[in-house]
Amino acid sequence: MSDFVFTVGAELPAISQPSNLVTSVMYAGASTDYNPLHYDQAFAGQVSPTGAPIAHGMYSMGLVSRMLTAAAGGPERVADLQVRFSKPWPLGTTATFSGTVTAIEDGLATIEVQGTGENGERILSGVGHVRV
Amino acid sequence: MALNQSKVGTAYPAYRYEVAREKIREYAMALGESDARYQSDGDDCVAPPTFAAAFTLSRGLMALFSDPELGAHPALVHGSQAFRYGTRPLTPGDVLDCTPSIASITVRGRNEFLTTIVDCRFADSGELAVESESVIVFLGSAPQDEAPDAAQEDAA
Repeated sequence: MSDFVFTVGAELPAISQPSNLVTSVMYAGASTDYNPLHYDQAFAGQVSPTGAPIAHGMYSMGLVSRMLTAAAGGPERVADLQVRFSKPWPLGTTATFSGTVTAIEDGLATIEVQGTGENGERILSGVGHVRV
Repeated sequence: MALNQSKVGTAYPAYRYEVAREKIREYAMALGESDARYQSDGDDCVAPPTFAAAFTLSRGLMALFSDPELGAHPALVHGSQAFRYGTRPLTPGDVLDCTPSIASITVRGRNEFLTTIVDCRFADSGELAVESESVIVFLGSAPQDEAPDAAQEDAA
């Protein structure tokens, strides 16, 4: 269980995580998303928006989910989660994932979430609902 | 080549997915998850919420992308993703029937936005396990006669 108390305005404990070839290959295998954009320099050089490999969007969403479930006490608490991948997350950089409780109604807490890259750029934003 | 608008509303044949304990373990490790239940050998084993990506994104999207009439191409990025969950997390041994469909195809600038839904139900009860909604951005294939518009928003 978690010590986090869901009250409007509360900030979830943020997590920071690197992305690199190892995390990318592990996530590719675990998720079965083998798009070479996420680990192959030559391929990424041709199609990546940054010209280099970028993390799976789902890796960043998975880290948001990890933050939510850690605060809520487990996956059974998560009712829904939606995110938009607004900028690429380059391999070799660290991103921070954070969330704020914006409402609590009918036993559901609304959490606005975001992911921020090393240079302060927003790589992800979204909203989730957890049962409290 | 632009995506085929007449495919909106198409539901593809359901595929079956069986949730496996070792796959849950592998997925949780890839995210650095610390909840011991994800690694459990016992009856308390559950899957993390976004484990659903392991069977809705690759396999669900493959059903669409292998449809030669849709016109999918490899220049794509994942624009957004939503999961809506049923009443309990997935556990080892759960058998799911997953039905992919095309909800919409829209154009913004040079890019096309394909919204797909994969509806995943427990095979034994028919109850919702998880619904996955993905927006896949196909880069540069919008019909040429569409007016240019802001297109820099979605990019991962």
